Amino acid sequence: MTTQARSRLELKYLTTVGFTADFGGRGFHLPVDISIRNDGRIFVMSRSSPIATPGMRIGIADLKHKFHGEFGSFGTDPGQFTRPAAIAINGQNHLFVADDSLNRITEFDSKNNYVRHWGETGDKPGQLSGPSGLVFDRTGNLLVVDHLNHRVQMFTKDGRYISQIGGSGSRRGQFCFPWGIALGPDGRIYVADWRNDRVQRFAPDGEFIDMHGKSGSAEGQFNRPSDVAVGADGFIYVADWMNQRVQAFDSEWKYQTSLRGQATLSPWATEYLAANDDERRARESFKPVIEVDTVDPHEVSARIESYFWDPVAVEVDSEGRLYVLETNRHRFQVYQSSSS
Amino acid sequence: MVRDAKSRLQKDLARMSPEENGAMVTTPASIETQLISHLLRRAGFGGTRDEIDRFSKLGYEATVEHLLNPPSVESMPQDIIRRYHVDQSDLRVQPATGANWIYRMVTTNAPLLEKIALLWHRVFATGQTKLIQGKVIVTQLEMFRRLGLGNYRDLLLALSRDPAMLMWLDNQDNHNGAINENFGREILELFSMGVGNYTEHDIYECSRAFTGWTIANTPYNTQKMRNNTARPYGYIAWQFKYDDSDHDHGEKTFLGKTGDLNGEEIVDIICEQRATARFIARHLYHHFVADEVPVPQWPHVPPKDPEAIELMADAYFSSGYSIGEMLRATFNSGFFKSEATRNARIKSPVEVVVGSLRLSGGYEWPTMDVYDASASCGYMGQGLLAPPSVEGWQGGEEWVSTGAMMQRVNYASRIIGDPSRPGVREIIDAVCRSGASRDAETLVDECLRHLGYLELGVETQREIVEFARGQVAQLPQGGVKQRDEAVERAVIAVLQLAVATREFQLA
Repeated sequence: MTTQARSRLELKYLTTVGFTADFGGRGFHLPVDISIRNDGRIFVMSRSSPIATPGMRIGIADLKHKFHGEFGSFGTDPGQFTRPAAIAINGQNHLFVADDSLNRITEFDSKNNYVRHWGETGDKPGQLSGPSGLVFDRTGNLLVVDHLNHRVQMFTKDGRYISQIGGSGSRRGQFCFPWGIALGPDGRIYVADWRNDRVQRFAPDGEFIDMHGKSGSAEGQFNRPSDVAVGADGFIYVADWMNQRVQAFDSEWKYQTSLRGQATLSPWATEYLAANDDERRARESFKPVIEVDTVDPHEVSARIESYFWDPVAVEVDSEGRLYVLETNRHRFQVYQSSSS
Repeated sequence: MVRDAKSRLQKDLARMSPEENGAMVTTPASIETQLISHLLRRAGFGGTRDEIDRFSKLGYEATVEHLLNPPSVESMPQDIIRRYHVDQSDLRVQPATGANWIYRMVTTNAPLLEKIALLWHRVFATGQTKLIQGKVIVTQLEMFRRLGLGNYRDLLLALSRDPAMLMWLDNQDNHNGAINENFGREILELFSMGVGNYTEHDIYECSRAFTGWTIANTPYNTQKMRNNTARPYGYIAWQFKYDDSDHDHGEKTFLGKTGDLNGEEIVDIICEQRATARFIARHLYHHFVADEVPVPQWPHVPPKDPEAIELMADAYFSSGYSIGEMLRATFNSGFFKSEATRNARIKSPVEVVVGSLRLSGGYEWPTMDVYDASASCGYMGQGLLAPPSVEGWQGGEEWVSTGAMMQRVNYASRIIGDPSRPGVREIIDAVCRSGASRDAETLVDECLRHLGYLELGVETQREIVEFARGQVAQLPQGGVKQRDEAVERAVIAVLQLAVATREFQLA
């Protein structure tokens, strides 16, 4: 069965959640992935930096800007990670973390307690080299983007290898350093084929269906797409990472719209400014969108605070809300989708 | 004690000059190869044996052209770097910023662009110690790559509009009717003519001309910088803004020219001065040819080679202020190629680190090693994007201290002694294949060739051969051509000793 999304998509900005928190606490630091639990809790994986390893953790928030704590830390012990790249939540509300340096998948239960980890380094079937994307399929198996092996592997949730798709290359069904992965409402698999500048679509059994995109910055073109998400209505959202935007398509890959970002101050940010009156006053004359003398999207984003800056991950919740996570602004922006 | 030790080291290094150390013992190589090796050390970070052999076939002058006009400019792609090191995307602070530059320097196929960026980073020293955010300095470095070999007027004008520089020298506080002379003073003293070629009144008039040269959203961005805060959403990279309403449109007289001068006219006047040409020439000489005395002494100490400075200054004017033409004249000159110039300049820490890494390889894919490399430059006294003051690093003997020398030797020895690095592995395999370990002299010669045709002084050569003799004596008979652990250990030991020599510290 194929879900069709043929009507016109509209996206309306709702809110921004986030705050720079290098060393833990309410906020995020250089986040790389986001996952939404069925109770509305939003999990954000902060990858952080070599000098701010306390910032490496999973933070929990909700759309009402409540912060529900954090767990996980830098290290190689069980329950720790050194370069976390992706998270996913399964039907039992267990959260899985992919570490693209340790080449292991770590499982936490619904109360954020460490359960187990698995994964072996290598390029043989079932081995991992740079796991960077995770999603559970409809049968509860875990699809792992094994990006340095240019493939997607399927495992049971406790790490037993089942099958794989892909291989290195640019032909259909092949990948070049793939990154994010998503499951459509009909079980089809979408992979952000990062360095091929395209998104590929596969049947639940791994058979290649089609692909979309080529290198560029025009509508429908990509510059290193890092993630993909599919709504219940079939609309497809692509984090067009180096173009610093999110593009939306219908299920036939017909271009719908593009977002550049329009973040506002989150309540966490507002509270900070209220506590730092010199900055609050200085910000009174602040113009968030200014005319810039560069066309480089990365540089433009660096200069305009409300724009996406490294929109690395996208998710859609059951209410049709689109979440766009930005690494360099330590926040996510939320948009409500509707179609007419 | 420390001063004595430093003094000894300085004398030791001075002794490395050919005049005092006798002729350098060269590895068996043609003069062309020696010159190419010299050129790659100065205009880049040194060459591998393969690179030097390849350029030797091309010829010296063609190599100069290749360096000045590289057919392509490639290094590790930023998308790859940003994916693995997310902190090298927002480039907020060290070590991300320095590490990002290390990637560029180690992996580029156009090393002169990095070398010239290093020069301008030293001359136009801008530091994140004050600015807090490193991103704007990285953007400034990109401008140095783009304009650094071009027209000096373009470079100086871009520098005057560079947000990092404007904030570094407080020009956001330079207003019509409330002059801040910081930028106006330094553009004359440090960036163009040097002390003694202008008056205090010229500084004042120059500063007036740059009123209104600021950045967008000045109050908020300045406050964030002063508060050293990346909250709430990280830093906002600065954008140049010319505010005509804050510009002093009154009549000004600068270096004898009068009018409603704005910053552009000031830069024009500066670039017309012979003093500017000489000052820039001396910086180029200091960076590419031979160590000069520290810049603050320049008004009182004549250049080491006044004729060279005049030749470069002539090239500046005849080419319409082209830095590239000044360098072309330099690289093709007799003074640059002379034996007295070769192997006589003390490598900067960055040259030690990057040169070692370009030999060792291991940067074909992102690696956490890059943070160690960046930090090591700092331990040796040259923290990238963190110059000690507006005067940057003086270079030359400034690089020599007891602690720094230990760091330099240990770093090179650690990197070149690591057989897991692909470049080192290739060297070991090549030396083993050549059968060079059959006798000490051949083993040393072969190792020196692979270290970029490293030339040693007579005494050093004798000592390292003596050491190699001991290594060779321990090798099993007849097994020297195969990959044998004992042979590998001997090769590594000789390589490590070679990069621990005084000569390796020189370019």
